Amino acid sequence: MSVFSGVVGLAIKIALLAVVNGVAVWGGTVLASDEKWFALAVLVAATLAIDLIYLSPRRAIPLKFLVPGTVFLIAFQIVPIVYNVNVGFTNWSTGHILVKSEAIAGIQRNSLGPPPDGAAYSMAPARNADGNLVLLLVDDTTGEQFVGSEDGLEPLGRDSLKLGEFGTIETPPSGYTLVTGAELLRLDTELSRFTVPTESGAIRSEGTEAALELAPTLRYDRVRDTFTRIEDGTTFRDNSKGAFVAAGGEELEPGWRTNIGLANFSAVLTDPLIREPFLRVFLWTLVFAASIVLVSFALGLFLAIVLNKPTLRFRRGYQVVLIVPYALPAFLAVLVWGGLLNDDFGVVNNALHTNIPWLFDPWWARVSVIAVSVWLTVPYFLLVSLGALQSIPSELVEAARVDGGGPFAILRRVTLPLLLVVVAPLMIASFALNFNNFVNIYLLTAGGPPSDDQSVAGATDILITYTYKLAFEAGKGNDFGLACAVSIFIFMIVASISGAAFWKTGSLENVR
Amino acid sequence: MTTHEQAFERAEPQAVERRGLHRPSLSGDWWRHLIALAACFIAVFPVLYVASAAFNADQSLGGTNLIPRSLSLENFRELLSPDPAKSQLQSSTSHYLRWLGNSLIVALTTSVLTVLLGALAAYAFSRFRFRGRRLGLLSLLLIQMFPQLLALVAIYLILLRTGDVFPFMGLDTRTGLILVYLGGVMGVNTWLLKGFFDTIPSELDESARVDGATPAQVFWGVVLPLALPILSVIGILSFVGTFNEYVLASALLQSNENFTLPLGLRGYIDKQYTEHWGPFAAGVLLAGVPIMVIFMSLQRFIVSGLTQGSVKG
Repeated sequence: MSVFSGVVGLAIKIALLAVVNGVAVWGGTVLASDEKWFALAVLVAATLAIDLIYLSPRRAIPLKFLVPGTVFLIAFQIVPIVYNVNVGFTNWSTGHILVKSEAIAGIQRNSLGPPPDGAAYSMAPARNADGNLVLLLVDDTTGEQFVGSEDGLEPLGRDSLKLGEFGTIETPPSGYTLVTGAELLRLDTELSRFTVPTESGAIRSEGTEAALELAPTLRYDRVRDTFTRIEDGTTFRDNSKGAFVAAGGEELEPGWRTNIGLANFSAVLTDPLIREPFLRVFLWTLVFAASIVLVSFALGLFLAIVLNKPTLRFRRGYQVVLIVPYALPAFLAVLVWGGLLNDDFGVVNNALHTNIPWLFDPWWARVSVIAVSVWLTVPYFLLVSLGALQSIPSELVEAARVDGGGPFAILRRVTLPLLLVVVAPLMIASFALNFNNFVNIYLLTAGGPPSDDQSVAGATDILITYTYKLAFEAGKGNDFGLACAVSIFIFMIVASISGAAFWKTGSLENVR
Repeated sequence: MTTHEQAFERAEPQAVERRGLHRPSLSGDWWRHLIALAACFIAVFPVLYVASAAFNADQSLGGTNLIPRSLSLENFRELLSPDPAKSQLQSSTSHYLRWLGNSLIVALTTSVLTVLLGALAAYAFSRFRFRGRRLGLLSLLLIQMFPQLLALVAIYLILLRTGDVFPFMGLDTRTGLILVYLGGVMGVNTWLLKGFFDTIPSELDESARVDGATPAQVFWGVVLPLALPILSVIGILSFVGTFNEYVLASALLQSNENFTLPLGLRGYIDKQYTEHWGPFAAGVLLAGVPIMVIFMSLQRFIVSGLTQGSVKG
């Protein structure tokens, strides 16, 4: 019982608990200073529960073993699943990233424009005594002097800063230093976004020596929750899909993320722009996964039968060599195949003296991804079939032979049925795996070549790569909401296939 | 012989056939040899081709043959210390050692913790009868059907927001990636390990308990040492699986210096097959051969794992 007996074990336990609590306290202070109260409450509750479980002797013993894994399971598997479902009901996507209050502030900022009679200023960026960026401003018409910070505009005494010959600010008032030279260049982007709020609007720099007074072109009505364009009185209303929209359809940017109910799900089922690529991709996913499993099983079984003769010489050697594709990390193999199938210089075209666009023609690309996946999968079924063949009692085969069965009749009526008992569940598992086999598609063709129907789904995209593209690579930006909805569909498909399989094999009854 | 050794014995199919009849002639089996040789050629030619390209002096894709014309280590040099002048583009520069280091850190940490967390949970399910046990086992099965892959977008958004508060475990960090991988551990391995623990006779624990050992002592002192073979197999499978993982890593990691090997090599070779082929092949050999050797040497254990339903990721 070495290390974990008595005092030492207790010391280790206390030390681990101390680390957990220390990390929790540190995390708690960070969360508190960021005012993330909900997260803080969860953290405190979880830490207290852990302490309670591990400090109560001789009670809740199973929990002591289950907690470590469960913490990760909840945090990075269950919470994401729940969150995934939540996001599926929102319009979270490019242009709808913010929450509503942030979006309103954003619209107000975007709507700022120079009014016809707005003031113009000579401007110089400077640092105040605290080192923060401020704008020194001199009104071009009245000559009044101000200092503008992100908190607002404050008047300076007249003549507290000196203007040079051409109206540029040359001497700052005491307590301020001018920003010049290289530092000024570095501040370029910060300066262009620097906005000094005023009573009627804002002041923003134009270049590095001038600033303009800006006034909002839209007015937000807090009570009616609408924006009104001041110029022509157009009203923009909350369309409850995360945007302010005018009667004519004009939309204010940015929008915000909000619950849009079943819209994503119904879009997958009804919107032809989404439904057709989805159906196409779904069918191809089924064909892709099913043909890999069937072809690999057939080839693997065939090779197993060929090798399944105990007296065959070099048998062990053949078996070792045939495992190579399975032992090689899949991502490396797939990347290598990408080179071998290169249409100009690839060895496949060179050896066959052909010029086939293996990866760039829709049909050849489909053939290629299936072929490469089969190359990767055959060894698995070879191993499995070899094992299963050897587990079939030789008396059965002998008896069939004595009864006059030919080799094929024995295979079809004796060997195969017995083999399938072992292999069928593995075929289902392999189907579920290949259904989401991201690497084989993405690293070989990246889902391409592109299709003609303007969707992100290419000719070889399967559902999971399609989801990935919707979320991270769509041409017009990310569509997290739709991607989550699609992933829920994938889950339902895979779950019903596996569920049916489990139910049929009755494995759930055996949970002891 | 304990029960679990018997379990492994079953995975050794050669045991039966060594009863060695007289050595057969090649002639009667010529068609078997013909088919086996053809299959062997298809299985290994990509690997041979890559090995040849790695040692070939000509770096381009078109310049390689199955038998290199002149041997050189230039490709390895180019891969490990790329000439900064030759590759101006950041994304196309090789940071091979950095990527490999990242992959090793992530995969080692994940596999060690995988074994530990999985074993702890499996022990509880195997040895204790408690309320919610059956429910727990069934829900693990259900959760396993929703692979993390599918919650990718949510995981991305969660890490995006976590990073605002705790930058060290947000997007584009190895810590964040490892934590995410650990989330998928329980669902995958608990069942497999529980099945194995069930075969270790509980009389062993009971006698230790009678001698005054606590459950923790039984776990660390009795059950874990007995389970070491299967634990190491699961550890290695999890190492290879994590080493191979592409999707989560590519969604969560963003900067070239944090990339794992799959992301790095893919970026390196993507659309540049013609220029980078030689160094790329060298990289494939360096990363692929050790994994292949480990895998081959564990083959018989892995086969027994396979028939119990684990699938290499």
